[in-house]
Amino acid sequence: MERKSPELLPGTLDLLILRVLARETMHGYGVAQRLKIISDDVLEVGESSLYPALQRLLLNGWVKAEWGASENNRRARFYTITAAGRKQLNAEREEFHRVITAIQKVLETA
Amino acid sequence: MMNLIRRVAYFLRHRRAEADLAEELEFHEAMVSREMEQDGADPVAARALGRRAMGNRTLAKEDARAVWIWPWLDSVFQDLSYGLRSLWREPGFTLVAVLALSLGIGLNTSLFTLFNALALRPWPVRDPHRVVTVFAIAKNPPKGFDAAHGFGPVEQRYLTDHSKTMAGLVLTRGEGGLHLDAAPKTRVDYTTGNYFSLLGVDMERGRGFLPEEDRPESPSAVVVLSHSIWQNRYGGDPSIIGRRLQLDEIPFTVVGVAPEGFSGTSPELTEIWLPMASAILLHPNDRWARDFLNNADSCCAQMAGRLAPGFTREQARAELSVLHADFLRQNRETGNGVLLAGTPMLQQPHRETRQIYAILGLAFGGVMMVLLLACANVGNLLLARAAARAREIGVRLSLGAGRWRVVRQLLTESMALAFIAAALGLALAWYLPAVLFQSMVGEVSFHLRPDTTVLAFSVALAAFSCIVFGLAPALHATRGSFADALRKQRVGAGRLRGLLLTVQVTLSVILLAGAGLLVRGIQRAQKLDPGFAIEGVATVSFDFPISAYGGARMNAFFSGVEQGLRELPGAPKFGWTLIEPLGSGRRMAGTHLPGEDEKHSRPILANASSGGYFDVLRIPILAGRNFEAADRDRKVVLINQAFADRYFQGQSPIGKNIYFSDPYQIVGVVGNASVWGLEPVEPCFFTPVSFGSGPRLMVAQTPANIAAITALAKNLDKRVHLRVTPLRDNFDRWLSSSRLGAAVAGMLGILALVLASIGISGVFAYVVQQRTKEIGIRIALGARPANVISVVVGSAGRSLAAGLTLGLAGALAISRLLGQYLYGLSPLDPVTYTTVIAVLALAGLAATYLPARRAVKLNPVQALHYE
Repeated sequence: MERKSPELLPGTLDLLILRVLARETMHGYGVAQRLKIISDDVLEVGESSLYPALQRLLLNGWVKAEWGASENNRRARFYTITAAGRKQLNAEREEFHRVITAIQKVLETA
Repeated sequence: MMNLIRRVAYFLRHRRAEADLAEELEFHEAMVSREMEQDGADPVAARALGRRAMGNRTLAKEDARAVWIWPWLDSVFQDLSYGLRSLWREPGFTLVAVLALSLGIGLNTSLFTLFNALALRPWPVRDPHRVVTVFAIAKNPPKGFDAAHGFGPVEQRYLTDHSKTMAGLVLTRGEGGLHLDAAPKTRVDYTTGNYFSLLGVDMERGRGFLPEEDRPESPSAVVVLSHSIWQNRYGGDPSIIGRRLQLDEIPFTVVGVAPEGFSGTSPELTEIWLPMASAILLHPNDRWARDFLNNADSCCAQMAGRLAPGFTREQARAELSVLHADFLRQNRETGNGVLLAGTPMLQQPHRETRQIYAILGLAFGGVMMVLLLACANVGNLLLARAAARAREIGVRLSLGAGRWRVVRQLLTESMALAFIAAALGLALAWYLPAVLFQSMVGEVSFHLRPDTTVLAFSVALAAFSCIVFGLAPALHATRGSFADALRKQRVGAGRLRGLLLTVQVTLSVILLAGAGLLVRGIQRAQKLDPGFAIEGVATVSFDFPISAYGGARMNAFFSGVEQGLRELPGAPKFGWTLIEPLGSGRRMAGTHLPGEDEKHSRPILANASSGGYFDVLRIPILAGRNFEAADRDRKVVLINQAFADRYFQGQSPIGKNIYFSDPYQIVGVVGNASVWGLEPVEPCFFTPVSFGSGPRLMVAQTPANIAAITALAKNLDKRVHLRVTPLRDNFDRWLSSSRLGAAVAGMLGILALVLASIGISGVFAYVVQQRTKEIGIRIALGARPANVISVVVGSAGRSLAAGLTLGLAGALAISRLLGQYLYGLSPLDPVTYTTVIAVLALAGLAATYLPARRAVKLNPVQALHYE
């Protein structure tokens, strides 16, 4: 059975992808795998949200894409974070912290 | 912004992008199933999972693609509906803006429609871009003659037989007036037998000509009708094919009807087509037709051809040049190669082409100025609106809307305005050029309706004007902070408005001055002394079937008329002339003077007339004598004063010879008369007219005279048609196109004036509104109305003065271009300039009146409560 991935806050997936790509250039499948492993299988991202998110990042100029050979020698599209993308990542990260802290505060004290 | 560029780039290569996405998703799926197999899942289950993933994949693709499109479309719709709503809320502004813009865009589009028809639209034939017009270049053309000329049928056959680069060549040659059944003056084009098949014209009925119908040794009496003549004169008769018609009283058989929308390949509308060789049938008594068809040195029919598959225009030009040179060498002549041009009229090398381009250029300058004026006006109105909406925009900006986003929203509104105006402008262009051109020139073969090229032009124009009138106000409105907006302070608004006002005044001075000069030029031309009698004189032309008349019969007919006129009671004065005064005919003869050889010959206007011509037209004989009856067989010539002044400075020309083919002795000098046109009189000469050339009769237009002449002519030959044209009609027709030009210019001028007045009054009204508080305080402190008005006017006075100065300078510079359309009026005509300035000053005053009155009548208490 396929487990349903938890619903993310809007925009969070973009942030996570940027964070993963900030470490190294990767193809889409790699990004999904990486998210899954790091989050201990909690975040399982399907194609139908992963690829629109990647297109969104492309549109905003935060990542760029290039075709290359994958580890098993197939043609795959690799995504690299751009300077604008890094800037966006930092900004979003702070914002995310602020929001999460706020939410936690509400959850704990309200 | 970058975002938009990436989006556009995505759309431009969306096929590639979608293929990328599909491949990427496939890769993803392959990786997933590989992983499952590695995890030990059995292949069947893996495949099932793969199938399930399929649906996933489609969804993913759709969603990923939508990222590029939906948010954008959505926001465009949002902006659009917001913009339309805000336009709807201010109907007054919207109406004025749309009206001004649609006039500006409409006039430009109309002119472009004309330009498109003359210079861009190819002939309406199959695959028109492979069809070229072909011209021979003369080696040493006489000055004033076109170097490019046409070909004769003999050479056309030679070139057709030898050329490999052309799939075929056609010749056409127009002839003015044949009698079709009873109706005279049917416009005919003679064409080679391959005309319809080579050009690829899909006949409405029947067929085009066959090559064997166009043999000089066995010409066929067949005819193709135009669609309009088939409809109008034969009521669209479905059994027209095979019907016998009388052309100049010679029976012809209809073999085809051309399709609607094909009105020939010469600028004039063609009504019927005949095979080239049938000229022999129609001119049985005339050597001309046989010579034209059979002599190698005949020339000057228009040639066109279709490039053979695989050959370029340049290859064809090179080959035809060689073949043309070979052909000329066989006939011991030389030329200067050939030239290939496109089929639209203005792409062909005619002498008038340059002049038409010059007129079109002037006209484009005028209508472009009207458009800019309209844009400046709308820009000004938008600025005023932006001021009124400053709070709204300020709030939006401070709520976090990006500046670019607000600018985009404002521009979308402008774009909506511009496109509504463009749609109305296209509607104008649908009627204006066709109607104007028809009243000016008559029926022509050009397609004078907007097509897709025109549509593209008007869309580009709308986008252009939107940027011109919308961008600056939009940028301006979004400048500064929310706090500024609330304080209602807009830095620099005055400067931008002042600039726009200057532009408006400048443009309207130029347009008004140009229009004024043209109108005054026409007034002057109407009072012009043409140097000959116009009132009460008429030209009588005799039309008879050319087929029935050779030189000998013509001679007999006209001698008979002359004899009869001499015997009339009262013996009215009459004269003969080959070319009627102020008609459309112009005849030049290559002429040289004593002491020059033939190489120096220059084209000089030449008419042939009898002595009576000068009596009837009251052109004085200044020296020597008039023609007498015996001159008809002598080689003698009369020259005009302009000829004597230019070529015999100071000396008496009487008794000297001038040469055109033969020497002609000058026997007299006649006064200058504008018989060729209302331009300054050029040198011209007159030779004795021969009756064989079919001259026209000049006579005083009294009912008795006309009745007597009609009776005389009908008595001699029943088939003769008489046409009586009062010289006044010719004179008026000569001025009509200039008059139309002046009327159009006048309309542009008035339009400019109205637009400028709206602009000026808008600026003043705005100043009053903005300074209401200040004015109120001044009034409360006891300021007199004059002080208040000076506050209002003073603020815009400098822009007005700058506009007037710049406009005058521009008008003085540009007026020189109008020189040849002014009929001798000085381009610096002081009356025009004084009037223009007075009119603009008056308009300025009128435009100031309402706002100024409002300012003076302000109640100080209310004014201080304002806001």
